[in-house]
Amino acid sequence: MTNEEASAMMHAYVDGELEPSKCVELEAHLAANPAARAACERLRGMAAAIREEADYHLAPASLAAGVLGAVPDAPARTMKAPIWRLLPGTGVAMAAAAFLTWTIATGYLKPGESERITQDVLGSHVRATLGQHLIDVASSDQHTVKPWLSARLSYSPPVIDLSAQGFELLGARLDYVGGQPAAVLVYQRRRHVIDAYVRPARNPAAALALTRDGFNIQSFAHDGMEFWLISDLNRNELDDLVRLLEQHPS
Amino acid sequence: MLPHLDAAYNLARWLTRDDHDARDVVQEAALRAFRFLDGLRGEPRPWLLALVRNSCMTWLKANRPAELGGIDGLPAELLPVEETTPETLALRAVDRRMLNEALAALPTFFREALILRELEDLSYKDIARITDTPIGTVMSRLARARRLLGESLRAIQKASAPQVHG
Repeated sequence: MTNEEASAMMHAYVDGELEPSKCVELEAHLAANPAARAACERLRGMAAAIREEADYHLAPASLAAGVLGAVPDAPARTMKAPIWRLLPGTGVAMAAAAFLTWTIATGYLKPGESERITQDVLGSHVRATLGQHLIDVASSDQHTVKPWLSARLSYSPPVIDLSAQGFELLGARLDYVGGQPAAVLVYQRRRHVIDAYVRPARNPAAALALTRDGFNIQSFAHDGMEFWLISDLNRNELDDLVRLLEQHPS
Repeated sequence: MLPHLDAAYNLARWLTRDDHDARDVVQEAALRAFRFLDGLRGEPRPWLLALVRNSCMTWLKANRPAELGGIDGLPAELLPVEETTPETLALRAVDRRMLNEALAALPTFFREALILRELEDLSYKDIARITDTPIGTVMSRLARARRLLGESLRAIQKASAPQVHG
């Protein structure tokens, strides 16, 4: 591979968009060329600097109110959607119709489209992030979180601190997924919250990776436990977390 | 919180570079989202961002057309990473304000590509869909954007470095 060819591929490589066979070729080139390796590192550095330092402009609260106020009434058909189950009680009834329209508009939930557990995980994650009730036990200390979970479940889920690898453990909560209680480990990477649902693997299904309504979902079994990860984090970094979790013994 | 509203506002804010204009654009895009709800195919976030992007472009064309010019003469092919020039060097040393200023100063289409890629974590395919351009163009814009950003950061650092007298 020439330097020109390597340079042309480097952006796609850094962006995780290079096809596997080309990755192998490029990595061989990088291994043999310190200058190319340094250029690659500079690109990674720039990408990381933008992700960490560039302003992410959160929508002002008044904008949400403005959008809700401007949207037409919810069409009758949306009344049947199980999104109603997501709405926490009567307090939000006022904005419910408009919220519902927006939610359907942005495709948050597509009822009947997927199997129960994916729906449960998706619903639970959305509920937690919307309602801000993410965490029952807030601690980055695995020796605090694990006993808390063990005391409330009939099993002891693995709790792994990965802050050194860029996945900060925020804490944990309990939820009910696929007809049984599940431990939810809450990790954070930059602004992205990652929920990891952990429960004993009963009929270990094949590892699954899918995107549902803008969220990446990934499941795998490891050491007798079944993991379901969900986040709006990109697929590459979610894969990183899967690999890290798989490396740790339960 | 409305799903994807932050992403919508963030994109509009970076494209218009103004809070008030960004709000107007997002409001307008939200109304179009409801109107064209039946056109929703695939993932909702890229779909919504495409509407926001469209509203931004319409708005810029009407109010600040100069910001949409200057891209025609640019080469479509991937620009190689210069291995010898340290244009992206010492990025870590650049402070937050400088980086944000340099990003904001990038030509609209390059700024857009970087924001969608790095702040929204979107794939080339989604960026191509949102910006209504071929994937090859997305790649060349990203490469060019990073190069321009590196050059501009280097210039800022040079300008702000203390003058040595002697």
